[in-house]
Amino acid sequence: MFIQTIITGLSIGSVYALMAVGYSLVFSVLNFSNFAHGAIITLGAYIAWALMVHYLQVPFLLALLLSMGGAGALAFLNERIAYSTLRRRRAPSLYLMISAMGVAISLQNILYATIGAKLYALPPVFAMDVVHMGELTISKMDIFAFVFSAFTIAILHLILVRTKVGVAIRAAAHDMEMVSVLGVNLDVLVGVLFFIAGSLGGMAGVFMGVKYMVYPSMGWITNKAYIGAVIGGLGSLPGAIVGGLLLGLLEALVSVSSIGDTSLSTYRDVFSFGILVILLIFKPTGFFGRHVEDKL
Amino acid sequence: MLLSVEGLNVFYGEAIHALRDVSFGVEEGEIVSIIGANGAGKSTLMWTLVGLLKPKSGRILMRGKPIRPIPHLSVAAGIALVPERRRLFPHLTVRENLILGAYLRKDRKGVEEDAELVYRLFPILKERLSQYAGTLSGGQQQMLAIGRALMSRPKVLLLDEPSLGLAPVLVDQVFKAIQDIASSGTTILLVEQNALEALQIAHRAYVLEVGRIVLEGKGKELLDNPIVRAAYLGVAQHTEILLERTDNKV
Repeated sequence: MFIQTIITGLSIGSVYALMAVGYSLVFSVLNFSNFAHGAIITLGAYIAWALMVHYLQVPFLLALLLSMGGAGALAFLNERIAYSTLRRRRAPSLYLMISAMGVAISLQNILYATIGAKLYALPPVFAMDVVHMGELTISKMDIFAFVFSAFTIAILHLILVRTKVGVAIRAAAHDMEMVSVLGVNLDVLVGVLFFIAGSLGGMAGVFMGVKYMVYPSMGWITNKAYIGAVIGGLGSLPGAIVGGLLLGLLEALVSVSSIGDTSLSTYRDVFSFGILVILLIFKPTGFFGRHVEDKL
Repeated sequence: MLLSVEGLNVFYGEAIHALRDVSFGVEEGEIVSIIGANGAGKSTLMWTLVGLLKPKSGRILMRGKPIRPIPHLSVAAGIALVPERRRLFPHLTVRENLILGAYLRKDRKGVEEDAELVYRLFPILKERLSQYAGTLSGGQQQMLAIGRALMSRPKVLLLDEPSLGLAPVLVDQVFKAIQDIASSGTTILLVEQNALEALQIAHRAYVLEVGRIVLEGKGKELLDNPIVRAAYLGVAQHTEILLERTDNKV
């Protein structure tokens, strides 16, 4: 039972990590929390729904890839339309964050107005399939989500370490101006950054859609991923991964715990937001957070 | 003329007129120094030349062709900057810092050749390739900043206060390296508060005062110019000035 809980926790945690990495990537370079990320994740799930259920019967893997590409393109457009002008004018990051909140609420309401508030299910794929290992019963979807998330994050890591664009993204996290003086077109670099963050979000959205449902406000689940990113230290990729996994594990453990006869599962969200508040009191920069230094 | 600047006017906001009708040129293969006190506009000039600051009026031309003031276009046109205080990426390795210097280049082989040139110029960098740039000493960081700029194979290398904060022995080493780079064919535009060293290695030099070029001449000539000596070399003719004052009093 305990091991099963751990596996469930790791699976949901890896999806949190996917989303948290998107927050952290953008934060590391542009220094603001892109709260529109949740809406992009939602749109990723809707793309999969449109492809697999509504219009066509595209196979799951293809739908997953197309959702990633679509969500990436939407994140790119989101930056071009809403943030790029603010960025070029060097607006304080607070304004970028407020703009992001505006984008999130607008997109969510566009979904309400056009597709409606109805909840849609994605095909169960192998959500119902289970693997039996001794006494353990594990959903194949949980395994798939974990493996695929881990694989994707590993690829992201390789991009950031091995490619020129990746190195430039890491350098821009420290000094964007200097990166441009070395010949990097910042508009292109930020575009790549948002495409990556968006496609990771699209993948997370599809997994959430399969596990739960597809509905306009599903993006708010990213608040949890955001907590994960903050726990790990905003702007740090290892931080986002550790934070996301940790939050998933703790939630899974709290859900199955009980005090006396009272199950704690209804207190799950009280718990996750509570540890955020408490952690920030003791460790305001998270586990892997950078201390803000003067850039001389 | 390789690099020419025509009537450059740069403002900070509305009120501060940081560069006033600045015009000058750098010939192919030259070392040109611009000396000036703190706040004279030296760094402003450098940031404008790489497109980070937009001039209100005036033009920057490479071999007669105007460059739009956008950083990546300036790099593509052949300008590379070693900025004041180096601005390395401390959490990236020495190798990664160098790679970023060659960001726009597609000729893998040429990039490798230039890396070898940088190692020959600064052998210590080759030993430290996988070390974080932030762990290097001040002198090594300055070498890396120069190496990073050279990796774009620039036509003209801009150096902003390369001697700042370095021990005298390292200052000599850096100026020696600048001369080596120049003799291998890269044109140099150097901006310095350390006027003595800057004038000694310069073919030609300009004096920048409160945003305006007030003097120009051969490096050696300016070294002997009494105004330059008094204002920038700290060898004012104290005795004469003192005598004048006493004369007036009597």
